[in-house]
Amino acid sequence: MSGDSIPIAWPLSSLARDGCEVTALYRELRKPLLRYLICLGLSTDEAQDTVQDAFLSLHRHLSSGGSQENIRSWVFRVAHNRARNRQGSYHRRFGEPLDGEMHGMLDQATPERMVLEKEKFRQLGKAMRQLTEGERECLLLRAEGLRYREIGEVLGMATSTVGETVSRAIKKLAEKCNV
Amino acid sequence: MCELSGKLMAWLDHELESDEMAGVERHIEECAECQREVAAYREVSATFHSYCDAVMESRERRRLPQWVPVLSAAGAIAFAVVAFIVFQHRRVEPLVPAPVVKTIPAAAAEAATVVEPTSVASKSVPRRRAAPQTRRETLNWAPAEPAIEIAIPAESMFPPGAVPEGVTFTAELRIGADGSAQQMRLRPRLIGFERRGTQP
Repeated sequence: MSGDSIPIAWPLSSLARDGCEVTALYRELRKPLLRYLICLGLSTDEAQDTVQDAFLSLHRHLSSGGSQENIRSWVFRVAHNRARNRQGSYHRRFGEPLDGEMHGMLDQATPERMVLEKEKFRQLGKAMRQLTEGERECLLLRAEGLRYREIGEVLGMATSTVGETVSRAIKKLAEKCNV
Repeated sequence: MCELSGKLMAWLDHELESDEMAGVERHIEECAECQREVAAYREVSATFHSYCDAVMESRERRRLPQWVPVLSAAGAIAFAVVAFIVFQHRRVEPLVPAPVVKTIPAAAAEAATVVEPTSVASKSVPRRRAAPQTRRETLNWAPAEPAIEIAIPAESMFPPGAVPEGVTFTAELRIGADGSAQQMRLRPRLIGFERRGTQP
């Protein structure tokens, strides 16, 4: 099952009836949410379940007349908290070596590029494991296009703290990766 | 370290106010150290994005091969079952059915084989395609399971007087497709009490 075949046919059809806004949100946020959750350490199945839960919660939230402001950070926060509840696998990603993960992606590359990319990812993976949890989460949410204010809403941090955390984390990665 | 170093990431992410953005931009144009830092942050940031994409892609790729062996095995088993059923039902019987074995009196021959094929025209033999009638005469057929009956005088196997007069033994041989004897069975017969044939 790929990421494009999330088993949420029934909830989606239900959501679609509620309005185009939720459907458009789903199309926009499904992949970033999946990528964020998978990079956090969830398995693909767990990430898909979590995304489904998050959109069901959004459906209930909007049906009960909940606020429609900052919906993107709202969905990310729900998904993030659901992922937090799956503590068993939450930390798995950064405890495992990542070389095997990259092997499949680099199959199509030339040998030289494959070696360079593999080494780059290996260094980055090693450096990421040395970041704090908050730094990793900030960088991952930033990578999904969230603004500092939205990251703060998801993680319950002040916007200024998010800016400092992102800056510190990027500097650490640059140092560890010799960039 | 440059005093604006802490704002470089916010500048890269367009998180500063517009007037502050312009100020930092002007500073970067003049500060070589900040230019190097910005270049490094851009590179790390791009690598981080590629890393996230790669993790996602590798997870999706890794899931596919889990199904491939299962589907292949299931397909092979299904094919084997279907093939078994189809060929069981479509097995073509020989053009000529098993021969009728005729008993020969012991006195008639030391060893003789008489095989009479029954008429095939009267029987409907299920097959994929019926052979033309004219070809049957020229077919070099062979029985599916040849059977030969040999009448042997008792005197040739036992000492004189050991077997009552008029008793013979019939040896039934089953010969396999490769010509080797598969089974032999001896049956005592009383001369004059042979089973009568169906033909008058």
